[in-house]
Formats: sequence, structure tokens, C-alpha cells
Amino acid sequence: MAEFEPKIVAFLCNWCAYAGADLAGVSRMQYPSNLRTVRVMCSGRVDPSFVVKALKEGCDGVLVAG
Amino acid sequence: MTQRLLDLAGIGKDRLHLEWLSSAEAQRFADIARRTVAAVKAIGPLDQEAFSMQIEAARLTVDNESVRWLVGKELSITSKGDVYGRSWDEAKYEEVLDHALEREYHNNLIILAMKDGYSSVREISKRTGLAVLRISYLLADLERTGRAEFRGMTDSTAAFAAL
Repeated sequence: MAEFEPKIVAFLCNWCAYAGADLAGVSRMQYPSNLRTVRVMCSGRVDPSFVVKALKEGCDGVLVAG
Repeated sequence: MTQRLLDLAGIGKDRLHLEWLSSAEAQRFADIARRTVAAVKAIGPLDQEAFSMQIEAARLTVDNESVRWLVGKELSITSKGDVYGRSWDEAKYEEVLDHALEREYHNNLIILAMKDGYSSVREISKRTGLAVLRISYLLADLERTGRAEFRGMTDSTAAFAAL
């Protein structure tokens, strides 16, 4: 069986982590492709219910980065 | 708060990662991504079937009005005190918050179990894994606040239902 590849929902702040992720892409840095990114205008926008909803909808982990 | 709730639900706080970085820290982002994926990989997949009741109870708990008020007021009360002029340190406040969180989570487990047709305290206990005594206490409160009701006796066992 193939190795378990987790599905992770990443809530990224538009101004910090999302730009950081963008820069990582532009700089051609290698990082895993398991993250499903959701861009938010501020990590303060992320409601705890988003996290639980993501887990309910079938992801294995959640990352909130701001 | 959400991490504590995930622990309470047996889902595990390690499924939620919180990180802070600036837009210039591309390398740091790549590291965080790698670390998060490795950590979740180590825990293994989340069994949706087995945890569906726990996840739903957690969802109802984070949407609960009292819990949201407690979370929202934490900063102002721990830094400026409450309306009675008492000061609260963070540890004391978190203790109250944890207590409310656990209580509401258990309430929701009981309600979901009742909605699934488990009506006696023993059945609910078997379904939720909560102690019989704990369920009795919480059920009394749920009845008082109109979230559950006593439906009568069947074979000398009290039956309850969610409203």
C-alpha cells in the first residue's frame, strides 16, 4: 500500500503566511503538496468552527498560519 | 481552546497546528509545511466514521453562545478584570473556560446520543463513554434549560429525549 498522504487544510493570512507561501513558490523551494490552501484576509478571521468543519469534511489535519 | 476541545474529543490537539510568520519568511513557511505534514502523517488518518459523533459534538460546542462569549471576553477580563472589579489571571480564567468547554461538549454528546435513539442513562453512557453519574447531573440541567425531557418509565428505566 502507498504511504499515507494526509489531507491538510491550511488557513493562510493574506498578508503573512499566504505571501510567505507565494514567495516559497516563486523561490522554487520544495515543500509537501498535502496542504489545501484557504486564503483568509487575517488569521483572526478563522473561526474555531472552520477547523472542526474541515475535520468533519474529511481532512486529517488543519494548519492556521498568520 | 480549539486544541483543548480536540483533545477532549479524542481527536487530538496535534491535528491542529498554529504558526506565525511574516511574508518574507519563505523558508520558514516551507519548514512549517513540512513539519505539519510530518506531524499529521505520524498520527495517521482521521477515522471519520468512528469520530463522527465526537466531531459533531465539537462543532456544536464551538458554536455555543456561552463558550464563544467566554473566549471573546478572555483578553479584556484577564487584563482589566471583570465587571465586579475582580482581577483574573490567565490560569484561573482558562480553568473556568475549560470547565465550560468540557460541560458543553458532554452536553452535546448526550444530546446527539439521545437523537440517535439512546434514551436511558445507561445506554447514553455506553454510547458516549461518559460516566453514569455525570450524565445524570448534566441531564437534570438539560431538562431544566429545556434541551431535553423526561419521557416516562419503560421497564423501571427512565427514558429521556432531546428537544
